[in-house]
Amino acid sequence: MAQEEIDKAIAGDYKLGFEIDIEQDTVPPGLNEDVIRFISKKKDEPDWMTELRLKAYRKWLEMEEPHWANVEYEPIDYQAISYFSAPKQKPKSLDEVDPKILEAYEKLGIPLEEQKQLQGIAVDAVVDSVSVKTTYADELKKLGIIFCSISEAIRDYPELIKKYMFSVVPMNDNFYAALNSTVFTDGTFVYIPKGVRCPMELSTYFRINALNTGQFERTLIVADEGSYVSYNEGCSAPMRDDSQLHAAVVELVALKDAEIKYSTIQNWYPGDKDGKGGIYNFVTKRGLCLGENSKISWTQVETGSVITWKYPSCILKGDGSVGEFYSVAVTTLAQQADTGTKMIHLGKNTSSTIISKGISAMKGQNSYRGLVKIGKDAFGARNFSECDSLLIGSRCGAHTFPYLEDKSSHAKVEHEATTTKISEEQLFYLRQRGIDEENAVSMIVHGFCKDVFAHLPMEYAVEARSLLELTLEGSVG
Amino acid sequence: MQESIKDMATSLDLKLPTKKTESYRYFDIESLLDKSYKTVQKQKQDIKDSKILKIVDGVVVEAPKNIVVSYKKERFVSSKHFDELYRFSHKINDEIIHIDIQNDTDLKILHRFEAKESFLTYRIQIDVKENTTAKIYETFIGCEAKGSFVLYGYDLIAGRYANVEIVKDETIVKDTYTPIHSNFIEAKESSNVKLFSFDYGDADGLVLVDSYIEKDANIDAKHLLYVMGKAKRGTVSRLHHTEKNSKSNQVAKSILQDSSRGIFDATIKIDATAPGSKAHQNSKAVLLNDGAYMASKPQLVINIDDVEASHGSTIGELDETQLFYLRSRGINEDEARKMLILAFANEIIDDMSENEVVNAVHNSFEKVYYGKGQLECIATCHFCEDVIL
Amino acid sequence: MNMVEIKDLYANIGDKKILKGLNLELQEGKVHVIMGPNGAGKSTLSKAIVGHYDIEIENGSIVYKGEDITELEPEERALKGIFLSFQNPVEVPGVSNAYFLRTAVNAKRKYEGKEELNAAEFLRKAKETANFLGMKPELLNRSLNEGFSGGEKKRNETLQMLLLEPDFIILDEIDSGLDIDALRAVSEGINKLKDGKRTFLVITHYSRILDYIKPDVVHVLKDGKIVKTAGSELVEVLEKEGYAALGES
Repeated sequence: MAQEEIDKAIAGDYKLGFEIDIEQDTVPPGLNEDVIRFISKKKDEPDWMTELRLKAYRKWLEMEEPHWANVEYEPIDYQAISYFSAPKQKPKSLDEVDPKILEAYEKLGIPLEEQKQLQGIAVDAVVDSVSVKTTYADELKKLGIIFCSISEAIRDYPELIKKYMFSVVPMNDNFYAALNSTVFTDGTFVYIPKGVRCPMELSTYFRINALNTGQFERTLIVADEGSYVSYNEGCSAPMRDDSQLHAAVVELVALKDAEIKYSTIQNWYPGDKDGKGGIYNFVTKRGLCLGENSKISWTQVETGSVITWKYPSCILKGDGSVGEFYSVAVTTLAQQADTGTKMIHLGKNTSSTIISKGISAMKGQNSYRGLVKIGKDAFGARNFSECDSLLIGSRCGAHTFPYLEDKSSHAKVEHEATTTKISEEQLFYLRQRGIDEENAVSMIVHGFCKDVFAHLPMEYAVEARSLLELTLEGSVG
Repeated sequence: MQESIKDMATSLDLKLPTKKTESYRYFDIESLLDKSYKTVQKQKQDIKDSKILKIVDGVVVEAPKNIVVSYKKERFVSSKHFDELYRFSHKINDEIIHIDIQNDTDLKILHRFEAKESFLTYRIQIDVKENTTAKIYETFIGCEAKGSFVLYGYDLIAGRYANVEIVKDETIVKDTYTPIHSNFIEAKESSNVKLFSFDYGDADGLVLVDSYIEKDANIDAKHLLYVMGKAKRGTVSRLHHTEKNSKSNQVAKSILQDSSRGIFDATIKIDATAPGSKAHQNSKAVLLNDGAYMASKPQLVINIDDVEASHGSTIGELDETQLFYLRSRGINEDEARKMLILAFANEIIDDMSENEVVNAVHNSFEKVYYGKGQLECIATCHFCEDVIL
Repeated sequence: MNMVEIKDLYANIGDKKILKGLNLELQEGKVHVIMGPNGAGKSTLSKAIVGHYDIEIENGSIVYKGEDITELEPEERALKGIFLSFQNPVEVPGVSNAYFLRTAVNAKRKYEGKEELNAAEFLRKAKETANFLGMKPELLNRSLNEGFSGGEKKRNETLQMLLLEPDFIILDEIDSGLDIDALRAVSEGINKLKDGKRTFLVITHYSRILDYIKPDVVHVLKDGKIVKTAGSELVEVLEKEGYAALGES
């Protein structure tokens, strides 16, 4: 098969690149203490939160942008970004949500109304910086589950916020986390009380809509003892010639016997074939398995963004706690992804599993970077990592950078990685059975990702599959 | 005369590695560079005829007749080596020791360090002519060189269709010298290079090796590390496939005891110009007790789809089922552990082609194994010299 | 009537010239056998017919049902009814056998303007057929050919053949590596498709398979050309005297 045909088949077109035509309420570009106070005020935040933001800002000023990742991009002018943008009409109930936003969500395949009624999934939708609607909150409340925007949580649940925010990702953890701590505008807060198994999937959809804005959401999920929650996030952005910055922070805390399953389908605008436009996705995600036998599981399907820099991690502090990371990252066009995980084993008999599948096509550059660290007290710790790369074409790259550090002799760390291409033999076999080239490529790629998709909640597995199909769409000769 | 290495680097307009330099991530390079050392003036001598090539503090004192050894200013330098100390060692040494291998050769090199608290640096360049077979074994004796920092390295150019086996056997005892080896290997078209390194002992040391693998050439790299005490020791390597159908296979085994740290930071890089290349890499580490520390970083950097590349890395303890099996047959635990450790090590040692060298390396290993924790250096070290003579 | 006509075919693999002016006519409804020593070009011929990427056609044409297919894409040839049972079917990790089969069957049905089969209809049919071939039903849920034994792979090839109902079937060394039970099961599958309309091209090195599938016409391929064509009696002659006995006739 000719290379450009494969490229066409792999790249498809960005299907979510529409722009919603709604009035925005945006601050002028730039960052200083006044902007921070403005954001804080706009969100009716208490003084302590304003102070925390300012503290983070001062720390951020002293920090340097990291450049160790295997990605290249034009320098970011942090003063050219607008740090707050909200749809002007803030809806009170779903009926009041701007019909254009609802329409936009339908284009994204998330009709809020329908979701509310049919799928039994609670959705928090964030457009640019503001949570536009949280469905199902009332039903969840009866179980004591809190599912609301982070702004509401700061107002309504200050004790929980003070206790857990910054407890997993300190405000000065890294450059982008510090920036986020300074300007975070919205995001989701979830609290599952002791012994409660959340009866439905919780979900947030993020969309960057306005021009020249960054999105800085912050998500905090706390699962109290013996509880369970499965949380999903999805994202998209319109096509723009200029790159936009997305620097989110996600913190998860699992107490004794609790389990958090966090799934991401990331489909930010990937830019064009020369790397023009697209989202810079610089995200800090970390989970803390604080209690004994707690479990945190990250599953991600990353198909969008021009640059991705993210390492959803687990700190396995509680004895017997479990961390998992399942990832599919696709880079086509001129996308660059440097993604992976960190599994920090501190407690006894902790275990972690990493399965990472990278797919590179066209000029895409895909790096897996992972750290597995076994502390000296992590008696009986176990880790297994498998990192496979699939290359399509001679201009792409697949890179594997695992760091394995073991200080306990009663632990076992295993890492395996392979690099393969779609073999002509496989492709031919499928085509000889009458399956066209595009479908054959798609089938082989799905097969390659299967172990990861198996860990997504069912509805999202279907979505991930069709998203991959969209990415692969495009006629083949 | 005391000079700091940092000043020397500044005067040469060169960067030195810092604790942030990725290739020295797990090795404390700054404290080594911060110290001041005496510098050693090399006094060239008449070269005596001998069975081995003997280099004392960077000066050739003995050499076999059949090889051509000379000092040279012109030399091969790789401009793309990842290690800053590689460039530094080339700049600081006006001359290198050139070894020209024109015919099939067995060469044993003894490096001897005698100067105390000194900065000892020199480089050799080994040219192996095309279609030629060379077997090179190098070992190091430096018990007297207390407090010295040795910055040594070779550039090995394996000509077309050449066969080269190069073995490094180095036991370092604490409170003697600390070496950084910064090597480069160019495997020219259809050549076959086998690299072995045996790093034993209870003191720090690092080997950095970069390479180019050209069309149809092959590099096999095998590393055995056995360290104890507070040693930080290991290998940082890059096997760089630059042309088509090049092959590499790398195997590292590490045995870590006490609170030692093992380092295996190894990159396989395949350029877009190297379709049809094959690369495999495997690292296995055994921690004999808690507090021993293995830092393993096997990396693949692949820039083309038409390749076969894989790596695997495991860190763990001795296999319990194997241990139990041996004990259930009446072998006591110490003996059983020893059998397993020796078996783990022997897989690499026995892979070498020369019996004499296999025996020498076995000897070094067992000497360290039985002397665990109480390694001592005999001042004159006749024993060591005897082994290779 | 001829279903397939191959005229003056020259085909290369890389720099190597393999087929050197091959002519062959295959009649509708008949079983043709191609025999020949190793390296004669038997597999190259089957690959050339299905449009394999290794093969470069230098000259000549392959006409199937009156249409020149020499330049067609492999899937177009497949949809028109040409099926190759591979000598060594490739493994495709992660792609479930059932999913693959259904996709292939529905691609064919769509091409023929038929309604696509839903999952339940398809599975019923696939299980029935697998059962007929003595295949373990769990093989449908496994990844395509991955970890299959030699016999399982060949049964799976036959299963695909029965489900896709092709018009022109090429069996490349279908009997290699099969035990007697598998050989019988596979032959039964093949015989089930013999309806007087389908054409078979059996490529084999040994005559073992021919005890189960009766040939109508036997061709001998040697050094890139068909050197002899005769009735089934030729098999016995070859069995006794070997290929060396054949002159360049």
